[in-house]
This record gives sequence, structure tokens and C-alpha cells, in this order.
Amino acid sequence: MTVRLLKRLFAGLLTLLCIYALTFLLVINTPGNPFQMSDRNMPAEVIAALNARYHMDQPWRYFYEYLAGAIRLDFGPSFQHKEWTCGQILAQALPVSIVLGFLAMLIAVLVGVPAGVISAVRRNGWFDVTTLGLVLIGISLPTFVTGSVLLLTFAVWLGIAPIGGWGRMAHLPLPALALSLPFMAYITRLTRVGMLDVLSSDFVRTGLAKGLTPRRVIWTHAFKVAFLPVLSYLGPASAQAMTGSFVVEKVFSVPGLGQHFVDSALNLDRGMILSTVLVFAAILIAFNLAVDLLYAVVDPRIREAA
Amino acid sequence: MFRALLVTCLTLLVAVAAWFSFGQPRPQADFVYANPAGINTLDPAQLSWLQDIRVSLNIWEGLTTYDPQTLEPMEGVANFPPETTEDGLTYVFHLRPEARWSNGDPVTSEDFVRAWRRVIEPGTALDYATFVTDFVVGAKEYYDWRNQTVAMLAEGGDADDREANYVRTGSPRSQERAGSPRSQAASRAAVLRAHADETERRWAEVGIKATDTLTLTVRLRRPCAYFLSLTAFATLVPIHESIELLRERHDGLPINEQGLVVYDPQWTKPDYHAHGYRGLVTNGPYFVKEWTFKDHMLLEANPHYWDRAALGVQTIDIISYGDINSTIMGYEQGDLDCLLDMTVAYDHELTRLAQGGEREDFHVPIVLGSYFYNYNCRDAEVLGRKNPFVDARVRKAFSLAIDKKLLVENVVRNANPPSNHLIPPGMIPGYSSPAGLDFDPAEARRLLSEAGYPGGAGLPPIEVLYNTGFKHDRVCQVLARMWEQHLGARVELRGKETKTFADDKQKHNFMIARAAWYADYVDPTTFLDICVTGNGNNDSGYSNPAYDELLRHASRENDAVRRMELLSRAEAILIQEDFPNLPIYTYTNLMAIKPYVSGIYLNPRLHVSFKHIRIQKELPIADLPWTRPHRVQGCRFPIGAGSESEIGNRQSEIALQVR
Repeated sequence: MTVRLLKRLFAGLLTLLCIYALTFLLVINTPGNPFQMSDRNMPAEVIAALNARYHMDQPWRYFYEYLAGAIRLDFGPSFQHKEWTCGQILAQALPVSIVLGFLAMLIAVLVGVPAGVISAVRRNGWFDVTTLGLVLIGISLPTFVTGSVLLLTFAVWLGIAPIGGWGRMAHLPLPALALSLPFMAYITRLTRVGMLDVLSSDFVRTGLAKGLTPRRVIWTHAFKVAFLPVLSYLGPASAQAMTGSFVVEKVFSVPGLGQHFVDSALNLDRGMILSTVLVFAAILIAFNLAVDLLYAVVDPRIREAA
Repeated sequence: MFRALLVTCLTLLVAVAAWFSFGQPRPQADFVYANPAGINTLDPAQLSWLQDIRVSLNIWEGLTTYDPQTLEPMEGVANFPPETTEDGLTYVFHLRPEARWSNGDPVTSEDFVRAWRRVIEPGTALDYATFVTDFVVGAKEYYDWRNQTVAMLAEGGDADDREANYVRTGSPRSQERAGSPRSQAASRAAVLRAHADETERRWAEVGIKATDTLTLTVRLRRPCAYFLSLTAFATLVPIHESIELLRERHDGLPINEQGLVVYDPQWTKPDYHAHGYRGLVTNGPYFVKEWTFKDHMLLEANPHYWDRAALGVQTIDIISYGDINSTIMGYEQGDLDCLLDMTVAYDHELTRLAQGGEREDFHVPIVLGSYFYNYNCRDAEVLGRKNPFVDARVRKAFSLAIDKKLLVENVVRNANPPSNHLIPPGMIPGYSSPAGLDFDPAEARRLLSEAGYPGGAGLPPIEVLYNTGFKHDRVCQVLARMWEQHLGARVELRGKETKTFADDKQKHNFMIARAAWYADYVDPTTFLDICVTGNGNNDSGYSNPAYDELLRHASRENDAVRRMELLSRAEAILIQEDFPNLPIYTYTNLMAIKPYVSGIYLNPRLHVSFKHIRIQKELPIADLPWTRPHRVQGCRFPIGAGSESEIGNRQSEIALQVR
């Protein structure tokens, strides 16, 4: 088990390094001057001085220095917002996104899993059909639509939630709900499919034949197996939710990390692009690793194989 | 299993909520307004964006300040007016002794010298370096020399090469040392040392001097009618001496390894503590209390400000919005007192509401900025392919083929006045614009065939470069259609993302490119200078000795009326004959101000003096017409809605009610 874990850890670090190298190549070769701020032209000497200062004239030096810094969690300066280091921006935005993403995933699991189980058990009943419709809406409607509708309903018409912002309890529910919808829909479908699969298997029939209550069979025995696909989805999904969503953050004015992915790319803020990509990749790899470990806990087959 | 999952999730949910509820909510500020995007920088030397300049003008105070209504210069840190010599070349500013920094220190003339030097040092200079280099004696020479030598210091090769390079720049000191043998590292150190000494020596020749702690003497290279407006601008404000704690020093020298004078860029943050630095200190009516990245900035009244009694509001919260739709909802809900920019997909609808008088709190002032397109006037060798726009007749033909009224009224729809001028007409006091040429397709066709392209035959595909977004796409499509229809030209649109657009523009890789210019000060030269040969912002590459000569002549002219005439003649060359650019319209700005806010004047540069803002929420607004924002009074320039006579009527109406 420990050997397996170490192997996975090593593979994860190697992946991270590859991602860094690839992103670096893309970033360095993107046309445009990262220091260009406005419509006005900068004197060539000023651009040269800035390039020298940020080691843009020696890409390989930048490659090593950034990497060495990132290992010490020092992500260097932002090219666009010179008053802030990438580390400060991350430190401000990441906790916000983690809280919001965590909440969104909790909502998604709390609603999605029971909904999926019930629609599998009452297959083709009214609940199943309604859920299917809602799930379709959840998956296909983009967040800027659902977010705006939520905002209009709860903040403007009902007036029971603030328009947006961050810092009070009241700021949490709407963006968390908006962020959770696509994940919730997906989890519902995954649970339903997994449950249907399990419900037709031998051990369920055996359990029922031996006189166990259907409730016990479904929630205790069948659910354990049906939950596995959801568990493997939770890894990447949580990583995605906890690194922020550009749209949700824009609509609800949440100062999270999602906006920085888009803004840094648009601004060609090289330090910030590398930082956001590295953080996302690291979280994704870590969560996948965590899911793998959980798998071993939940699924005896894997535990024994290891 | 399921129960375990349920219990875990619920526990976590409660935990998150509980943890979050411990956070302190922000107290409500006296005045809250929203900014598009965030504040980019507060470094006076690095300013470029309107929202940054707006805040800077309120946390710092220059030698002079702007009248909030007319933008005329008035008293600031210095007594007004300053002493000037007969020839208008020397200004002696006497600082008021009671002027204080937000930490209580007195403001000294050295603080101005320090700040102005940063404006032209290659490590910190940016857009507005010309404010100093164009006017102050010796500044241009210093700036050029510094840029040159810094570039040489940065060049590759061994130290001896650098020293040789350095010698070529004409410094007598290092010439003496050049021959003596020494190791490379020592040589590099010596070069830097010599460079640092020489830098100080040359700086001493620049015409900015602190004669004593409260006297600043500035010598100009030529008379400048609007110099006291420049000294009010946010680039030329003082900087507190504590910034020196954050200067990068190499080997004890006042310069860094690359020969630059640079400071830790984090110095503008209120909570930045390092090397004894205690956070940002400013000398304006307000100081920065809190600044979180792309979230908000909290300003508080400066307790040591000399004119503290004049301040109407004590705290100001500036929210950076992510999404403009949510922000407008927030304004409607009463979360915001003011929304200074409402650029949104449906802004034409909001403009209509403002103009129809349905929304008294929406305003559309015309601002001192032009939306235009540049023709590339450089020859085919620069462009790398055939460029018909070398010929002024072709440029004129393309300009006359555009029906700007149609374009503005049907596509842009933001109450922008269509314009045939580079300088928005009627907005600069004392300046009368020359006649512009209107839409004339027949004349356009005639000119085009005269230039050798009858009916568009022989024209290469015309490439139009623009940055995508902000309605530019739609404007470009209409331009293309009009050129095809009236001139028979084939047009290719090249929409690019902003950074690559700027890159192409700087490499002169375009035939026609979108452009815009906002006035830096209320004078025609702020626009005319961008067409001068060799100007850093002359994107069209236009060069006409007669035009340059007119501007030079005007700069030497002491008589204000004659000077304006000369400038008007210069503009006539641009918009009647040579057409280096194609003006489309004058910018407007859609903004919303709650009726209980007064003291925000709709001046054409969108400066807001926070000091003059007053809030009167308690009284019924309907009974108090004078508490409305001053959409009419004090703005000497025509405002978007209503003719001037209407404005006059309204003013007298208000006056009657007040009595």
C-alpha cells in the first residue's frame, strides 16, 4: 500500500512538472507584450528594461527561477498588477473559492445522491421523470443563466438575499447553489445509473430473498457499490469547484480564483497564468489521489488486490 | 454507509457556515461607488487608467488642484497662483506650511522633486513621462541619456565592452577610468558606481529644484499655457520620503544591478510593512485604509489634511465589480450610491432612458475623447505589401465615404455626437475648430479615381485591424460595408484580442486600425501631438513638416488667442487635407448617481472630487431640487441631453424654487 502510494505521488509530481513545462512553452510563445497596459504605446527602452527586470529576455532563467520559487510557494510578481505578488493574489482568492466550492459540492452530494437513488428505485415513476427533466436543465443551462435567474428571484424579487459580494453568511447560499447545479445534475445521473446496475445484480436479489427489508438492501448494501462511480467523479469535480468558476464569480461578485484564470490569460500575465494553472493541477492531482485512497477504504476488492 | 455520508456532509456544512460567520462584516461607508474591473495601480508614475487616476487625485494632492466643475487649476499644496517670471519660463511654488501627510509629517518640496524624478526614471516611467520631459528644462536630455545608458548596461558582452559602450555615451568620468586594468566584477561595480555618480550629476541639471523645504522652483524649456493644469494631474503629486526605504540598492548604490532607480512595487499598499516601511502615506483629502485585490478599496478622511473642514463624507468604499449586470441590480437595490461607468450590452436602452428624462439619476455627459481609426501612412516597405494609404487622396476618399451619423445613430446608439474632428469640437475653451468635411460619397469616388483606383479597381484588399469587443466589431462591419458600397473596395476585417492588437499596431502591421484618444489636459495639443512626426503615439506614422512647424510655432507663441489660431490651422491640415486618421465620434459616458448625492460634476474628463461630495438622504428629495447632482450647473460644456436654451431654462427654474 505504501509503495503504491509513493508511486502515485511520484507520478503526480512528474505530471505537475510536465504541465508546468507545457504551460510555460505556451505562455512564452504567446504573441503580445505582457507589459502593455493601455492603448498608449510604451517606449522601446521601457519595454526592454521591464523585460530585463522580469527575465523575459532569458526565458530559461525565468523557467528555473519560477520553478524554484514555486517549490517554496513563492510565485513571484504579477506582470499586470505590479503591486501584488501572485502568492498574495492566490492567498486572497483561493480560500474564497475553496469555501464556495466545498459548499457547492456538499449541496451537490446531499441533493444529488438521494435523488439518484430514489429515481433508480422508482424507475419511470413521476419522481424519476421530474428529476430527469431537472437534471437536463441543470446540465445544459449555463451557469450565467441559472445564476442570473437565482439572483433575480431571490435578491431582486423576493429581496431575501444580497445582490452579490462576499464577507457575510448571507452571501454564501446563492453562489454555492448556482455553482452546485451542474455537479448536482451529474451526480444524480451517475447515482441513478450505478444504482440501476446494482439493483439487477445477484446479491440484491439474494438479500431480498433472505428477507431483508428493501430499505436495508438499497441503502446499506446496494448503495455502497452504486456510490463508487460517484466517488471517482468527486475527485476532479471537487478540484474544479474549489478552484472557482469564472461565471459564478462574475455574476455574484465573489472575489474567488476563477476570474484569475481568464483575466490572467487575457492580460498575458505570465506569472499569474503559471500560478493558476499550477494550483489547479496540484489540487486536481491531490484530489484524485485522495479518491484513490478512499476507494481502497470503501471497496474491499481494491484493498485486497493491494 | 449512506448515513455516514449524510452525517459527514451535514457536519461539514455546519462547520463551514460557523467558521464563515465569525468573519467581521464590513461597516457601511458614507459613500459607495463601483468601478469597472479593479484599481490597477496607485503609483503616480505608472498611472494610465481613468479609475486609477480618479482615486489618485483624491488621495494625493499636487501643487495645484482642479476646480471640480470647470477643471480650471486652483490652489493645492502650493499657494495659488505661484510666482512666475515675465517670460513664463520659471515657476516658483510656495508650499503651504500646514500641508501634511496622512501620518502628520509636513509636505516638503523634496517630496515633489522625488516624485517628479520617478516620472522620468526608466525604471518607473510610463505613459505620462512626457508631462515632465516635454516641459521641464533638461528633463528630455536626462530621460534620453538614462534610457540609452540603461539599455547599454543591460546589453550582453563582458564588462569591458560595457565600459567601452558607456564611454561612448560621453561621460568624462569613466573615460578616465577606462584604461586602468581591473577584474571583470570590479569593473562592473566601477561602471555602476560611475553611472550612479553621473546620474546624480545629470539629474542636478534638470530644472526641478527644492530651493528650501517649502519652495519648489521649476524651469520650463518653453512657455506652457496650461502648466498649472499639468501640476494638478495625478502623475505630478508628491511622494512621502519613506518610499526610499524600499529602493532597490546594488552594493550600496542608489541604483539596482541594471542601473535602474526602482522601488519595491508594493509600496502603494496601506498594509505593506517591510524594511521599516509602514505602509502607504498620502497627502490628499483621503487616505487608503484598506485595499483588497479586485475586491474593494476603503478610503478614510485624512485627519491631517489642511482643508479638512471642507470634507463632506468621511469614508468612501470603492467596489470593483465583476459583472456589470449584477452591479446595475445592486445600484437599483440601493447598495451603491454611484455607478461611474455603465458599459453594458443594453446601454443604448439606458441612454434612451437618461435622454428621455425617464431616469433623472442617469447621465450621459460628453467627454473629451475621440473614437477614430488610423490610416497607416508608411510606405509599402514598412508594411511589407502594397499600401494605398500612403496617398492622402485615398485617405480622404475613405474618410468621406463614411456616413458617421448613420453609424452612430443605428449602431453605437450611446448619444455620441458624430465627429469630423480629431479634437471634440466646442469643448476646449478658447479653441474654435476648423470646418470638418461631411459624408460625400461622390467626392470620395472622384478622389479615389484621381488617385488611380477608379471604382476601387487596383486597390489591394483593405485590412482593418481592431480589438474585439466593446461594439468595435459592429462598427468595423459597418465601415467595411460603406467602403464596399461607396468605393468598391474589398475589405478584410482582422479582429484581435487586445494584447495582440497592440502588438500588431506597434509593429505597424495594419492598413487601418482602431484608435482612441482621451485628453490628458484641456488643451488642443493633447490631441494634436499624436500626429507630430516621431511622437510615441503617432500610430499612423504620419509626417508633415508644415504641420510640425505650426505646432512648434504655437508652442513658442505667448499670445493665447494667436496660439489657438495656429493650433486650429494645424487641425485643419489633418481633417481637411491629409487625413492621417478617420474620426468617427466623440465619446460619451453613461453613469448613474443617486439623487441624494450632490457635488459630482459632469466634467468632460470624468474627474470626481470626493472632497466636494455631499450626501443628504434624510430629507425628501422631491422638495429639494438643489440636492440633485449638478447635471447642468457648473458644466460649461454642452451636456448630452437638451439644448443649451433648455438648460438655461432649467437653471432659472431651479433658482426660483430655491428662493
